[in-house]
Amino acid sequence: MNLIKLLKIDLIKLSNYRAFWVLNILYGLLIVGIPAGVIEFLKWLDRIGEDFSEFNPMKIPVLHFPDIWQNTTYVYTWLKIFMAIIIVISISNEFSYKTVRQNIIDGFSRLDFLMSKLATIFVMSFASSLLVLITCLLTGLIYTPEFEFGDVFNGVEFVGAYFIDLFGFLVFAFFMTVLMKRSALTVFMLLIYRPVELIFISNLPRQLEFLGDYFPLQAMSNMIEVPFPRYAFQEIQDYVVMPFVGVSLLWIGILIYGIYSKLKSSDL
Amino acid sequence: MESVLTINNLTKKYGRLTAVNNLSLDVKRGDVFGILGPNGSGKTTTLGILLDVIKRTSGDFQWFDKPPTKEMRKRIGAILETPIFYPYLSATKNLEIVAKIKGAPLSNIDPVLKKVELYERKDDKFRTFSLGMKQRLSIASALVCDPEVMILDEPTNGLDPQGIAEIRELIKGIAADGKTIILASHLLDEVQKVCTHFAVLKKGNLLYTGLVDDIDKGIVNVEVASEETTLKEVLESCPFVEKVKEEDGKYVAQLSDDKQAMDINKYLFEHGIGVSHLLTQKKSLEKQFLELLAESETV
Repeated sequence: MNLIKLLKIDLIKLSNYRAFWVLNILYGLLIVGIPAGVIEFLKWLDRIGEDFSEFNPMKIPVLHFPDIWQNTTYVYTWLKIFMAIIIVISISNEFSYKTVRQNIIDGFSRLDFLMSKLATIFVMSFASSLLVLITCLLTGLIYTPEFEFGDVFNGVEFVGAYFIDLFGFLVFAFFMTVLMKRSALTVFMLLIYRPVELIFISNLPRQLEFLGDYFPLQAMSNMIEVPFPRYAFQEIQDYVVMPFVGVSLLWIGILIYGIYSKLKSSDL
Repeated sequence: MESVLTINNLTKKYGRLTAVNNLSLDVKRGDVFGILGPNGSGKTTTLGILLDVIKRTSGDFQWFDKPPTKEMRKRIGAILETPIFYPYLSATKNLEIVAKIKGAPLSNIDPVLKKVELYERKDDKFRTFSLGMKQRLSIASALVCDPEVMILDEPTNGLDPQGIAEIRELIKGIAADGKTIILASHLLDEVQKVCTHFAVLKKGNLLYTGLVDDIDKGIVNVEVASEETTLKEVLESCPFVEKVKEEDGKYVAQLSDDKQAMDINKYLFEHGIGVSHLLTQKKSLEKQFLELLAESETV
C-alpha cells in the first residue's frame, strides 16, 4: 500500500483521540512559549537591574540571529520526551486493544502497520520542525537589534538536526513500545534509558572510550552541541556536526529494522 | 467444487505444548463449516494462523488454492475471539479503517450498519456499546468488504438468548447469500443449527469431520420397554441389534443395516413380545460430540 494511504488510515485512528491532540497542542505551546518566556525573563532582569547597572540583558544575543538557531533547537531537544509519550500511548494502545491484530486480520501486512506508524511519526516530526522554524524566525526578526538578510538563515540547518533528533527519538520510542507493549513501562524505560546510557558511557574502559559517542541517543545529541558556554567566552562547535548526522541516520535505520524483525517474528 | 481453504498437516507448538497437531481440513465454496471443540482445543489458534497473526510451526495452508498473502485476507471478513475496535472511535470511523485497509468502498459502510441494525448508533463511540451491539458491529465489519469468506469465532459468546437468536439469524441470512462461512464454537447446538459441515477438535487434534446432516444417519438407537421379562434376551438374539443397554428400566437397542424402529417392533411382535414403549432416540450433535470426546479420552 502506498504511504499516503497508510498515513491516512493511521490519522483516522488518531482523529478522535483526544489525548493525542491535547498532548500535541501542549507540545506546540511549549515550543512557542519557551522563547517568549526567555524574553520576558530578560525584560524582568532588565527592569530589576536598571537602577544599578549599565548592563542591558536584552543585549545578550541568545535569541538573536544567528545564535537563536542553535540555542533554541538545543533546548527543544530536551522536550522530545513529551512527544515520545504521545507516540508510546498511541502505539501501545494498538497492542492493548489488540487492534494491531485486527489490522493484520483485515489485510495489513506487518510492514504496512510499521510504515503507517512511521508515516505519522514523520509527519509529527516534520510539523514540529516547521513550528520551530517559524517560531525562531519570528523571534529572531523581532528581537535581533540589527542584522543583514544573509544572517537570518545562517544556522537554519540546526532545524534539520532538530528534525533528525526528534524523528530518531520517536523511532526509538516506537522500538521500545514494540518490545515492552505496555505504555507505563515503556515511558519509564524511555526516561531512565538516557541516564543509564550516560553512566554506561562514562564507565567505558579507556581503550573503548571512543565508542561512547556512537551510542544511539549520545550520537543524536552530538549533532547539536551545548551552545551556552559561548556566552562565557568558551569555544564551541557552532555548526551541526555532520558525522553524527550520519551516525544518527544509521541508528534510525537499525531501529526501524529492529521494529520490523520484532513485528515479523511475533504472534500478535 | 472449488476449495476455499485447504489446510495440510498444520502444527503449532508453544514450547512443549502442542496447540494444533497435524491438522488437515478442506472447506469448499458455499460451505458453512463449524469448528467445534471445548475451550482450549486450538480453534482460535488455528484461525489465527490462517489469518497470519500467529506463526505456524509446520504445515501449510492455501486460501483459494493459492499460498496465503495479505491480498487474500482482504477478501476474507474475520473476527477472532472478542470484537476488536478502537473504543474511542465511532462505529462509522471504526468501519472506515477496516474498509480502507481492505480497499473496500466507504459507501459499503451504511448498508452493513443497517443490516446489523446499528445504523442509528453509527456515530456513537464503540465503548458505549453493549456486548450484543459489539458482536453485531463485528459482523458488520466482517461484511464491509463484501467478503467471499467469513470467519466467525464464538460469535454468540456472552450474549443473552435474544442476542444469540439475532446473531444466528444474521449468520443464516449471510449463508443464504451463498457466502462461505467458517464458524468456531464450543456450542454444539449452535453448529448444528447453523452449519452444513463440521469438524471436532480436541487439544489440537482433529477427531472427526463430516456433514451435519449425516449425524442423524447411520446408527439408530431405539428405546424399548415391555412387560415381558424375556425382552432383553429376545433383543440380544435379534440379528440387526448390535448392542443392548439398560437405561432407567428401558432397553436401548443399537440397530444396524439401516433398520428402523418399525423393524424392531415387527421382530419383537413375531417373537411374542408386545411393547409398551418404543422411541427412536434422535442423535443430537451434543451426544455425538460427547461420545467423540469420550472416545478420544480412552485412546
